[in-house]
Amino acid sequence: MNRRKFLGLGVMAVAAMPVALSAFSSIDFRATKPDAWKAKTVEDAIKALYGDIKPEESGVTVKAPKVASNGGAVPVTVKADIDAKSVAVFQNMNPESAVAVFNVPEGGIVDYFLKIKLKATDENGGNGVITAIAEGKDGKFYKGTVALQVAKGGCEG
Amino acid sequence: MGNMKIKAKAKGDVVGVKVLAKHDMLTYDQAKAKGKEANFITHIAAKVGDKIVYDVSTSQFWSKNPQFKFKFKKDGFKDGDKIAVTWTDLSGKTVTEDKKIKGL
Repeated sequence: MNRRKFLGLGVMAVAAMPVALSAFSSIDFRATKPDAWKAKTVEDAIKALYGDIKPEESGVTVKAPKVASNGGAVPVTVKADIDAKSVAVFQNMNPESAVAVFNVPEGGIVDYFLKIKLKATDENGGNGVITAIAEGKDGKFYKGTVALQVAKGGCEG
Repeated sequence: MGNMKIKAKAKGDVVGVKVLAKHDMLTYDQAKAKGKEANFITHIAAKVGDKIVYDVSTSQFWSKNPQFKFKFKKDGFKDGDKIAVTWTDLSGKTVTEDKKIKGL
């Protein structure tokens, strides 16, 4: 490599630096992945958001009451043991599945609490399930679920 | 003011934040039944200074007057720092409120 070329590469490397060092920026997943929010099943929503993934059944835990008396505000906690880039929360009771997609910042801890609205589960064995998928920084996907019953729906009101 | 209640407190190496946002979170179904336009929070972000510490895209299924909690590492933040929480809703309205982080 001659000297001129070498210097040229140096300039390019410097020019590329600010990109590598650029601050963590906000992502609007509603704008970047619009179909994920319209999907009516959890499977379709996951596909629209992350593609055809095969998540490991570990690394993420979802907590919710076994029986939620008030579907208007069901407390949900999502935690991940893995280093996550993003975390998505879905459920199978409402007309659409997506609830939230977290973009995990540098220094952010995946220990999220939120309250959500869920339609009542039917008495004929129809189980409600909340699913969380974490996109690891290792490029793998992780999944956690929790089953629950909702006595009184929160979406009809 | 008055659109949000924010509590932020450092404990050990971690800052814990609790937020109660005032919003009807009217779903498409609820809006139809009431003859109104659906409107709900679609994005929430929190910053300390210019560093983002929480960033979430949200759906109509967050509860009315949504409550949420999150945590982040306190590295690099100092006494007097404030957390600023911003939400944006479907109508395009944006509200930001801030609160001093206790215990830093």
